[in-house]
Amino acid sequence: MEYVSPIDERVREPIPFASRPSALEGKRVALLDITKARGSEFLDRVEQRLREHGAQTFRISKEIFSKPASLDVIEEIALRGDLTVEGLAD
Amino acid sequence: MLALRRLAAVGSADVVCIAQERPEVAARLARRAGFEQTVLVDPAPYAVSRSFGVETVPTAVRIDVDGRARDRVVGWDAEGYSSLLGVVIDGEPRSKPGCVARGFFEESFGGLDELEDMFERGWSDGLPVVPPTPERVEAMVGGRDGARSLGLVPPAQGEATLERVAACAVLAGCRPAYFPIVVAAVEAALDPRFNAHGVAVTTQPAGPIVVVNGPAREPVGVNGGMGALGPGTRANATIGRALRLVLALTGGAYPGGLDRATLGHAGKLFCCFAENEEASPWPALHVERGLAPGASAVTVFAGDAPLSISDHRSKAPEELAATLAWAAAGQWSPFWWPMDDTSLFVVCPEHAALFADAGWDKERVRSAMFEAVVRPAGELRRGETTPLVHAADDDTPIQKWTTPEKIVLVVAGGEAGRFSAVFGPCDGMKSEPVTKEILWST
Repeated sequence: MEYVSPIDERVREPIPFASRPSALEGKRVALLDITKARGSEFLDRVEQRLREHGAQTFRISKEIFSKPASLDVIEEIALRGDLTVEGLAD
Repeated sequence: MLALRRLAAVGSADVVCIAQERPEVAARLARRAGFEQTVLVDPAPYAVSRSFGVETVPTAVRIDVDGRARDRVVGWDAEGYSSLLGVVIDGEPRSKPGCVARGFFEESFGGLDELEDMFERGWSDGLPVVPPTPERVEAMVGGRDGARSLGLVPPAQGEATLERVAACAVLAGCRPAYFPIVVAAVEAALDPRFNAHGVAVTTQPAGPIVVVNGPAREPVGVNGGMGALGPGTRANATIGRALRLVLALTGGAYPGGLDRATLGHAGKLFCCFAENEEASPWPALHVERGLAPGASAVTVFAGDAPLSISDHRSKAPEELAATLAWAAAGQWSPFWWPMDDTSLFVVCPEHAALFADAGWDKERVRSAMFEAVVRPAGELRRGETTPLVHAADDDTPIQKWTTPEKIVLVVAGGEAGRFSAVFGPCDGMKSEPVTKEILWST
């Protein structure tokens, strides 16, 4: 039986992961705060640990957790950072 | 599950699980079994299973380096798997028969029933649906351009062509006459102000609530009268359901998949009703929101289940306003004040008449409701509360809403009975109500 699919069946090419760094020393790490409650506390701790490993860090926020990151945010991370850590959920 | 658990314990990297499931179901299965090796999926029509002649699940097939299938083990058979993998498999049970494989069942017993086929494809919300045959979808599209896109539906960014929206409307059980309302509802939900992404994937129970206004209600029969928020009216049930299916299927927000609702609620199956403009003493919702009185429109809100508010004894409008407003005082969390989200109140005709008899317009009602619900900050510093409450002195009065405009009033319901209702909010999403005109030539 033939049906009209309600689903967009187009297959998208998967975007490959960036290559993994072998060390954190000297790497620029973006810490993305999605604005969920207590996410900044989590990132504070991660930031401290990353710096102990010689990484440079910078903080960046989404407008709100419930919306995808804006292109501006994504571009800034891509331009300024080698790595990203995102603080998800509460 | 037994075989997966036992093979997970063996931990051989040479074992690949092919599940006759959709990806999210297969992922859950593997997680529950603790199976960390590769999992592939073979959803309907089970092409991989058929090509290997799998009649029973589980069936293990050893593939040689030349790609040819060699030995196979059917059901759970510890000795068989030991021999296949060349490892010792301890523990009980030693054997257990499997179940009939999905593709094999169809071939052996004359094919799936059409309705069962819809469930197999995942084209359902848990209830039976109407199969979207090309003829039915064409009738729904009604000569419009089926390739026209209404936009990308988050979170999976499936494109909402009119044809796909029509397929969802067919699945939901809509008549073709409902389609312009469905299209307007989808357009409203895809407006960035609604934030369909957040509403669709949240752990909150929220979903879309569709309110229909204007002349379009009549020929289609959208109910704004007795039982407006309940079951029993095809237009209400199927228009609301069609929008849900667009989000769940075209948008990929399937419950348990990308829809991450902790609990959800039954109203996520559908939530659509008309404003009872004829019983309302006030301008209709769409007029309040800037459209002409003769226009037809849908307004889409994000919210969860309605809470019924009984008040059969108030005689003064101040009393009734306080009853309605205090019913919402516990929304989101009893101590989460103020709330910066829309509370949609459905005011029944008898309650609306009490306000009208006192000469109160909507603005006055809204203002009285806003002013009525106030508590000192000291009483709110329990459990989850807002930064404002934390920073305030004990005696500082805090209101439930940030502004009176967060209180939205719509009149609906039967002529008898003093039961109004308030929908739970969709908190913190920055989701705004969105109104779209219903265009018959869509």
